[in-house]
Amino acid sequence: MNTPIRRLFLISVIMFASLIAMLGYRQVIEAQDLADNPQNTRKVFAQMRIERGLILGSDKSELARNRKEDDLYYRTYPTGDLAPHLVGYNDPTYGQVGLEHSQNSYLTGTADEVEIVNLVDMLTGKQKRGADLKLTINPKVQRTALGELQKLGKSGAVVVLEVQTGAVVAMVSNPTYDPNQLADNWQLLNSDPNAPLFNRATQGLYTPGSTFKLITATAALESGSFTPQSRFRDDRGEVVIDGFTIHNYRTEPFGEHSFQEALSQSINTTFAQIGDQLGEKKIVDYMQKFGFYEKPPLDLASDEIMASGRYEDGELLSTGDSMDKAQVASMAFGQEQLLVTPLQMALVAQSIANGGKMMKPYSVESVADYNGTIVKQARPGVWKTPLEPGTASDLKDMMVKVVNEGTGSKTKTSKVQMAAKTGTAEVTGRGPNAWFMGFAPADNPKYAIAVVVEDSDSGGGIAGPVMRETMLSALGL
Amino acid sequence: MQRNRELVNFLPVVILVFAGFASVYMARSAQIDASSLSFGLLFVGLFLAVHLFLRLAAPYADPFLLPLAALLSAIGIMMIYRIDPALAAAQTRWMMVGLGLLVVVMITLRNYRKLDDYIYLCGILGVVLLIITVFLGINENGAFLSIRVGSIQFQPGEFSKILITIFLAGYLNSKRELLSTTTWHLFGVPMPAFKHLGPLITMWGMSFALLLFMNDLGTSMLFFGIFLAMTYVATARVAYPVIGGILFIAGAALAYQIKGTVRLRFDMWINPWSDAMDRGYQIVQSLFAIGDGGLFGTGLGKGYLLFKNGDPIIPALHTDFIFSAIAEELGLAGATALIVLFMIFCYRVFKVAVVSDDGFSKLLAAGLGAAFVLQTFVILGGVMKLIPLTGITLPFVSYGGSSIVANFGALALLLLVSNRTNKERAS
Repeated sequence: MNTPIRRLFLISVIMFASLIAMLGYRQVIEAQDLADNPQNTRKVFAQMRIERGLILGSDKSELARNRKEDDLYYRTYPTGDLAPHLVGYNDPTYGQVGLEHSQNSYLTGTADEVEIVNLVDMLTGKQKRGADLKLTINPKVQRTALGELQKLGKSGAVVVLEVQTGAVVAMVSNPTYDPNQLADNWQLLNSDPNAPLFNRATQGLYTPGSTFKLITATAALESGSFTPQSRFRDDRGEVVIDGFTIHNYRTEPFGEHSFQEALSQSINTTFAQIGDQLGEKKIVDYMQKFGFYEKPPLDLASDEIMASGRYEDGELLSTGDSMDKAQVASMAFGQEQLLVTPLQMALVAQSIANGGKMMKPYSVESVADYNGTIVKQARPGVWKTPLEPGTASDLKDMMVKVVNEGTGSKTKTSKVQMAAKTGTAEVTGRGPNAWFMGFAPADNPKYAIAVVVEDSDSGGGIAGPVMRETMLSALGL
Repeated sequence: MQRNRELVNFLPVVILVFAGFASVYMARSAQIDASSLSFGLLFVGLFLAVHLFLRLAAPYADPFLLPLAALLSAIGIMMIYRIDPALAAAQTRWMMVGLGLLVVVMITLRNYRKLDDYIYLCGILGVVLLIITVFLGINENGAFLSIRVGSIQFQPGEFSKILITIFLAGYLNSKRELLSTTTWHLFGVPMPAFKHLGPLITMWGMSFALLLFMNDLGTSMLFFGIFLAMTYVATARVAYPVIGGILFIAGAALAYQIKGTVRLRFDMWINPWSDAMDRGYQIVQSLFAIGDGGLFGTGLGKGYLLFKNGDPIIPALHTDFIFSAIAEELGLAGATALIVLFMIFCYRVFKVAVVSDDGFSKLLAAGLGAAFVLQTFVILGGVMKLIPLTGITLPFVSYGGSSIVANFGALALLLLVSNRTNKERAS
């Protein structure tokens, strides 16, 4: 009977060996996959034991801090509904969004730059703590912009950029929400048709309307065929291109006028003809130069940013998608399946104000470990160079005229000379979306802005004061 | 001398018990106080007492078995303490009952071969215990494994397993000549006469009935596996495990069709991720815990095993899933060491079977060894999703009074067998 017993033992050894092999597979080879499984809450729980870094505004006020309960840290947001779309939230039940999500490795101190510091501290027995983020967001400007939108009682967004650096000074999406009360309001927030959780500033896609004329104008001026003084005629307030009739606002005829007046008075018929003359490729080239068809490299997770461009059924069309002449003419004044984000239009304003250089947008100024040592400092960099300094200067002059003599008079103030461009895009079933974008001071631009207000009055004028008050707040005037 | 070797073998156990308890205690309360040390002293004292008893009652018995059982029990109590200190105290009391049973068995069954005369009594008692469970069983997670006696729960299956092993050892020993005669061949495999397939069919039927009535795949598989292993040892005929294996697969396939619980366990083995919050929750959480352990584990007391209110994240963590907790906190290194301990234990058991000189002893030791290996494989393979999960205790380690008491009872039989064999070889 000894031979069968020995064989039985041999089988037992094989069984034990297969257990060890499987265990090794689970604990070494598959371990990372198991840890990353979205159904695995261990990571979130483990991170709740780490004292997360603070998130501070540019004035060092706290936008996110911690509340300790037993051994775990919970996030609280002292400024409530001020900037939840950018700052985001960190919640064991609802997950992470915003900078809380994209900057998680810094906030938990697990990023490489921070880890080295913590290893030393671990050896000396100090408690592990995440790194603090200092944002470029100025809570005062943020509050003004949010307050202006709330005063109107409209959905919308405001993005303010620092012209020379691309730093995000304010990023507002209205309606907003209080990230401290997610648990109480989760159902409501998700079922609200106004989508308060949605970041309109980076994800909201709006028809640009006349604001797009800045891109067409850039393409026209740089083509060499047009100057700001080029003359046009418009006797009927409408023009037929390829069998398709294009109207001015209220089919108003403007008579003989210059290129400059065409922009400041926002004359659709003239831009349709310019577009027709430039052709599809030229305009699309300039869209790409301005960063369309790409997600702006803001420091949020890329799934929280949308690219601007031509869309069909919610999908971004390729740059090579061909259009007929009427479509090209419509696109030239901002219609025809074009959809843009407020962030994109703020970048357009910023690049014109900055002499043609579009800066990479960023909202994290610096990352400091808890000793106060800066482990990462934002370095402003050029993202695109969409236009020549001369063209930028011409456009700037035209945008000043928009404020002083044209459609942008609602932003006019004696305190500072602003430069602006307006736009209205009809929306079926409700009021149009109103755009105001621009920068100030016009002679030495410091801040660029884009404002969009949904369901506005027919002329879109109600968006003007939002731009004016926000810019004055940014300039400290 | 065997007992001196046993004493030496206890040294690493003593060190591990003190070190292990000190670290678990520190993880829980950030300091060592007298109670962690006094537990260590109690534990070591108990096994020292049993060791002294063995010096008198079984001086020739295998010197590894008791220290290994002590080490496995210590690891179990340590882990249970980490999960819930109150349960560790209860487990310690049950371990004392188990050691008491060991002493009683070794005194009363001094001449264990007398059991050969009472095998039918053992067999009937074993079956009766199972039938009682079927009729009086308490439904736990769909399986009927426990009955309630007064205020305590009791799992008759743990004892039935040993009684039926005793019965099979005696029965197969007396019938092995008959069972190993070849009368015909099937595809070149020598086959026993049809009439001698009777026990095989009976055992298969019984295992299948267990599955149907107790709703428990693990126990059913364990009983049938023990039977096949012992028949193979008795007859040296590969035909038995082969036919048995085919019958088992047929039974399992039938069970899959008619039993919802079997289908559920099988489906959750193939893909637990499809229902990770409900039906696949337990195995998925077990995999997360095991994966979290990595090479060296999170450290004792530092794993993510309990919710804030102290409830375990994995249901049945202290019983069926204790290995998941060990794998998380001690990592691949610690968990592999535990598996190696089981392997050494099983090596010693099979060695007892090989060196013993009579059929009954050989079959008894080999049967208990096979039971030990199968049970370990079924639960460890289950929690790491190597095989479909089925709830069964990890010998000596899992929380459970019946389990640890029965295991010390089985250990007593093994010590008796090896004592007798070694004594005869010495003289």
